[in-house]
Amino acid sequence: MDNTVKRLLERLVRRIPSRMLKTTLDKWSRLTATQRQSIDYTESKWALTEKLLAICEVFMLVSPWFHTDVIENPNLGMWYAFQLMDPQDDAHSVELTQFKEQFKSHLSELIRHVSIKIKKHTDEAVWIRIAWGDTFSRPNHLKPTYVVHYLQTPYVFLSSLTSKQKPLLSQALVLSTRYQAIKDANLSGRKLTAIRDLLMKQYLQVFPTKFPSPLAERNRVVSNLHIEKEQAGSAANRHQMACEAFGDGLLPQLQSAVYKLETKFRDHTNKTMTERDEAFRCVVKFASTNLLESLRHSASSGVASTPVTPLLSSVPLKGKNYFVITDNGPGPSSQMKPSQK
Amino acid sequence: ICFSVVRTPTDSIVAQRRSKNKSYRQSYRSCLGAASRLGHTPGWTVRRLNTSRRTKSHNITEKVNPEHLALLVKTEWQLSYVTPLYQFRHTQLRSYSRQLSAFITAEKQQGLAVEVEGTQTSFRVSFSVVQGLGETDDDAETVLVQIHSKPVFAGKDEAQKLVWSGWLTCINGNPEYLHSLPKDFTCLPLFGSRGAENLTSLVKSWFQQTFDCCFGPLEINQTCQQWLAALWTNCHIESSIQHLKMIWTLPVEPPLQITYTVNPQDAWELWNSVRTPLLERREEEEETARSIDIEEVTRFMQGLMSHFYRHFRLDLSAGRLSQVSSALGSAKFSGRIKMSNSRYVLTTLSLLTECALLKMPI
Repeated sequence: MDNTVKRLLERLVRRIPSRMLKTTLDKWSRLTATQRQSIDYTESKWALTEKLLAICEVFMLVSPWFHTDVIENPNLGMWYAFQLMDPQDDAHSVELTQFKEQFKSHLSELIRHVSIKIKKHTDEAVWIRIAWGDTFSRPNHLKPTYVVHYLQTPYVFLSSLTSKQKPLLSQALVLSTRYQAIKDANLSGRKLTAIRDLLMKQYLQVFPTKFPSPLAERNRVVSNLHIEKEQAGSAANRHQMACEAFGDGLLPQLQSAVYKLETKFRDHTNKTMTERDEAFRCVVKFASTNLLESLRHSASSGVASTPVTPLLSSVPLKGKNYFVITDNGPGPSSQMKPSQK
Repeated sequence: ICFSVVRTPTDSIVAQRRSKNKSYRQSYRSCLGAASRLGHTPGWTVRRLNTSRRTKSHNITEKVNPEHLALLVKTEWQLSYVTPLYQFRHTQLRSYSRQLSAFITAEKQQGLAVEVEGTQTSFRVSFSVVQGLGETDDDAETVLVQIHSKPVFAGKDEAQKLVWSGWLTCINGNPEYLHSLPKDFTCLPLFGSRGAENLTSLVKSWFQQTFDCCFGPLEINQTCQQWLAALWTNCHIESSIQHLKMIWTLPVEPPLQITYTVNPQDAWELWNSVRTPLLERREEEEETARSIDIEEVTRFMQGLMSHFYRHFRLDLSAGRLSQVSSALGSAKFSGRIKMSNSRYVLTTLSLLTECALLKMPI
């Protein structure tokens, strides 16, 4: 068996946690029942891999692993969100078979050696696995690109794409989805489900109500009754505004947000800097295991002043986590006076 | 050549040397006793960092052994403070090397019932003096400790590699304090180490046993980090800092980390704008050698934080400054320091020596 294929198999088996190995291999339809039974799961992974290699001498391994490898574990590596722009008239009626045919044919026209596998997942997501080759070499299955697209939405999520491959993939996507362009949505993260939920607003949103009533806080820690009484009103207010900005309940797990600030320095105590014409250039990065929850807690605990600044609330609102802020665009000079109480 | 230069106080106090078996607390309490018996409580009632610092950069490449210097600047060090060492002699370094080497080998062999041939790692320890680092005569000379060893399964001809290094230093130590120490005590309050944790604890144990001293962790607190940020920014014209990066940790659930990186030119202009204007230019003081005051540092940090607040309405002072860094080095709250440019080693070590002296429980 080909060396690359052997390496691929070893690598894939290594990535599957030992406890999931049996279930994963059971799902693999290429192994017959007898073959499956012959695998001894008490052996070490290394011995198991050797066994599998022996069984699979003749088979091409790529397509079945596609399912178990990435679809089950969509949190390996970074995902980047893109948005398709300017739909043509028939963009909204593109359905699966048409998309599959068109995408495969367009991409194969653009690049000679490429291996494309398309699969529709249960949650309406279309998964595409692309192994890139070139004029001289066969597709490299060890470094595939994954694309996830939700049909009838303009959203596409990409993982592991080089700058050389990007224009080719963009072209193929645009043509097969019947849009005219594709742009960076400025949203990235390790968890595909998180950035998907954020972009498509699939989390619990809270809208301002005419008669605000304090949202019941979970895990209320009552430290001192007098303090509680004093602070109850403003605490409830902060909590309400924090939830309005970021959502309630479990929030999509975003890891970071980056702001590139190119605004002028303005401080009435510092005349020299305020009179400067040039922007004060800096980059601010917020990072956390769950950024949105951290920001929400900052607002409800008072660390961040409420109402929450548009810069922070733009993360869930616009579904973005990379921003360039200038004095003309979204920035402090164009911040509106808070309209909510 | 190098002696521990500690002036003996006018009343000679005999510091009772406790036996080696007694605990360290007793030995530094004896030092405390000595200091108070002298009637000196030298400036320690005002236990704060100096409010003003000289910013002169020092070209020490001529004065210091290049190998030593290279070792100092290329890596990150973990800091501790050390209480004064009793009867430490700069002339005995060779003997200390042998002693420490034997100590480490003995400790590593503990628990082995039978001496197994060939699987032992042999450790070679070398103590050396880093000449040229000190600024004043009161500072004891810096001592460098290096441990080389052969990996366990190395071939016969493989050379020994440097597996651990550490240094003890005192740069611009408070002269009143240094003079108040009883005879026979050498003050090298700042300890930096790099290498395996088990070797670090062995080295510390040996020092504690041999010189009746005490080690403790040295954090680089917020004020100290802010000083470094200002000192580095001040040097931007001389040596580009490339960026000024500050990392805060906010106490929310889950914890939020904020990394604030400022363009070096803009940072420098902000710094320049908060400097107290010189009323008259003194002839000997060049622009780059002016002193920096704590008020200037505070104004600088406040400027940075207010720019941040204007955009995010988030008060950074609610959190803790956990790291500052630039091309000239980095400093972390956990006590890790990196000095990447040899010109500013002395300034940085001065600041850290002060921190160590303040942190010491005397």
